[in-house]
Amino acid sequence: MTISFILNGEDVSLNARSYDRLADALREHFGLLGVKADCRRGVCGKCLILLDGRLAPSCLLPVFRVRGREVITIEGFSQTDEFADIMKGFAEAGLETCGFCDSGKILATAALLERQARPSAREILEEMASVPCRCTDPETMVKGVQAAAELKARRHYRRASQ
Amino acid sequence: MMEAERDAEGFSLSLTDISFEGMLHISTVRSPVARGRIRSVTPPRLPAGYRLILPSDIPGKNHILSFGAEVPILAAERASYRGEPVALVVGANPLVAAELARSTVVDCEEEEAVLSWESFSSEQVLSKRIAVMGDPDLAFSIAEETIEGTYRSGASEHLYSEPQGSVASFDYDKLGVWCATQWPYHVRDSVAIALGCKNEEVVVRPTRLGVHMDGKLWYPSLLSCHAAIAAYLVRKPSRIFLTREEDFLYSPKRARSSITLRAALDSTGRISAVDARVAVNVGAYGPLAEETLSQICLAAPGAYACPNLRVEGYAVTTNDPPMGAFGGLGASQAFFAAEATAALLAQESGEDPIDWKSRNVLRKGSLLITGEALKDEPPYEAIALRLAAASDFHRKYACYELVRKRRSGRADGPLRGIGFAFAYQGAGSFLTGDSPNSYTVEVSLEKDLTITIRTSAAACKPSVRAIWKRTAALLLDIPIDSVAVAPPDTDKAPNSGPVTLSRGVTVVNRLVEKACENIQKRRFRDPLPLTAKSVYRVPKPIRWENGRVEGSLFETASWGGAIVEVELDPWTLEPIPLSVWICVDGGLIVSRSHAESALRSGSADAIGLCVRERLDIASGAVTEEDYLSYGLMSPADLPPIHVELCETEKRPKSKGIGELPFDTIPPAFLAAVSQAAGTPFRELPVRPEDLSVVAEEA
Repeated sequence: MTISFILNGEDVSLNARSYDRLADALREHFGLLGVKADCRRGVCGKCLILLDGRLAPSCLLPVFRVRGREVITIEGFSQTDEFADIMKGFAEAGLETCGFCDSGKILATAALLERQARPSAREILEEMASVPCRCTDPETMVKGVQAAAELKARRHYRRASQ
Repeated sequence: MMEAERDAEGFSLSLTDISFEGMLHISTVRSPVARGRIRSVTPPRLPAGYRLILPSDIPGKNHILSFGAEVPILAAERASYRGEPVALVVGANPLVAAELARSTVVDCEEEEAVLSWESFSSEQVLSKRIAVMGDPDLAFSIAEETIEGTYRSGASEHLYSEPQGSVASFDYDKLGVWCATQWPYHVRDSVAIALGCKNEEVVVRPTRLGVHMDGKLWYPSLLSCHAAIAAYLVRKPSRIFLTREEDFLYSPKRARSSITLRAALDSTGRISAVDARVAVNVGAYGPLAEETLSQICLAAPGAYACPNLRVEGYAVTTNDPPMGAFGGLGASQAFFAAEATAALLAQESGEDPIDWKSRNVLRKGSLLITGEALKDEPPYEAIALRLAAASDFHRKYACYELVRKRRSGRADGPLRGIGFAFAYQGAGSFLTGDSPNSYTVEVSLEKDLTITIRTSAAACKPSVRAIWKRTAALLLDIPIDSVAVAPPDTDKAPNSGPVTLSRGVTVVNRLVEKACENIQKRRFRDPLPLTAKSVYRVPKPIRWENGRVEGSLFETASWGGAIVEVELDPWTLEPIPLSVWICVDGGLIVSRSHAESALRSGSADAIGLCVRERLDIASGAVTEEDYLSYGLMSPADLPPIHVELCETEKRPKSKGIGELPFDTIPPAFLAAVSQAAGTPFRELPVRPEDLSVVAEEA
């Protein structure tokens, strides 16, 4: 069957079988290697994408579920101002990731900041539970996300006041 | 040489992302039994383009070497653990190859598996260590008080950033191997032995390593041999990449240990003697048996001064999967036993644990297990003072004792406890199997005044690479942006040894320093470019001989302590960590924020080990149930972790600190739970069912 959807802002379509998972399609068909299909049971958070702006594990999603919807991977998200805010916020906090969970943590932060402009430490840690990894300590994670939130808020304020 | 993509710093991408045109995929046929004779391996009818690889197909030797142990690449006649690789299926489609491997019948004559290890037969002993210092028998005979207990540490899963795997591809006369490894030269040498070729004919290009928890020391070499043998036989790029489940079920875990400690107190209340008996279950083949056993035995007295000592250790082989390192090579298990014993002694004496431990802890001039006297004054007093002040330890400890004793039932609220532990981490700390003069770092000052550091240990974290760059930049007075670390490929970088035991900071950084000093001396005398090599020399290698251990335990050490406060849920009795305080003197701290972050994430992992990370491996194999239930603690459930760095030395050197959370937090947690429950525990994680005694009383 042919599935059409919006991928990183572009209309795309591909032929997929009913059991094809989105993570595999993104990697193999579109060459989007920022999506990693590690555990294949929706636990590790390395395959996270934004589906209509909400966080979703692409390793569990059949491709047909994204028909007509908008999918953003880390490659697409990296072109946005929000991405720059998050990267800068993480760097300011001294957050050093392992190079495998980055995309999940960045997209989880984006999804959280979309819902909650100034998240509390508790909200941040609960969101980050979707990307379990030994590489980052909770306090630095909280600082990084809060710094990103601050940068995003300032950018919005600047834009509104122009 | 065929090239895979590299990131901005010149490192190969993660293994998942490496792919070559026409690459074939390998799936492993595994032993269905834990012990037995392999009679035959019968594959189903193989489609065109698929091939079964048996031990007889291996062109070179069918084993890899790890610290003297031989591990078969493919089990030929005998299977020694459930899931051991017996044959490989290689073909174009990974799913088809996996199905063919699953359908291959391994006919075995099953024998009774040997799974007992705390009591063991002499045939099970792979390695033995005995060291006696002073006269422990006399000290025990005149002791005022003795105490004895057996402390067990269970197996744990590394849950590293990426499952294990390897890709091998020929290009002209050389074989390129891509894998995430802590030790690229070990992979190179192992593959060369398996293929029967020269070491130089194999080039290892390490891929991004991520968090490894010491789970990628030797196992990537085994998988690289699988990939290399397949590539050699089919003449096409070949890839083996374990699924997360396969990795969890069959890769090495932390070696389980049982340490029986007997300690004696003299009439002044000081420790006069310690007798330690160590048994480590290293599983089949014991690839890290020598090293793990040595590290545990060397740390057996913990952070305490003891003039009379006997340590007897055994590395015991079983039909469990090969077991080994986890966040260090076993020292944390020894500190766990020593600190738990010290906590009991403090409790027996009715003294505050910090006061008691501070009185008995190592001081300048204290005799170490090797017979040498400690050269530096450990800053334990300062550490204890800071921790006690930050956590309000003395008041809380006294209050919790009182509350528990006067408690009448659940209505009085939850039980609480607070525990404390000391530890040290040797800097320049040696793998005892190290051969001196073999680990090298090379630094070049180029004509355009840029610096290139070449080391095979470059798979370290970016923050560690930043430390090397900063060291070189400072010594040669060159902007840090002009310093680069070359890719750690074995044809470009010299062998700098394995990345473990904080060696990136304690060994490699010192070698960078030495090489830069050498360049600085020649800089204005010789023309550019200038290159200097510096070689790691163990001052006095550790030797176990004639009932003694000799050599240098460490050059210097980082010192640390931790306090953990817990609460027992009044209904479920689940121990809930409330707060963690850790204080470390780690010498020269180049980046305070990275050091604090490393200690906090180490502490989070250590708390996870205390609360939920446990594998029983009861029947000789990890089960699917273990896989589904095992996991990290949610960051939202972690307690606040307070980190303090104290610098007490006038001219501090860089030292490793990464192991200290694993050395200090588990015993502090155990002491806290023991205080809350009013019962000494000897094993972690303490589960609610272990607290049934408290439940009955409540």
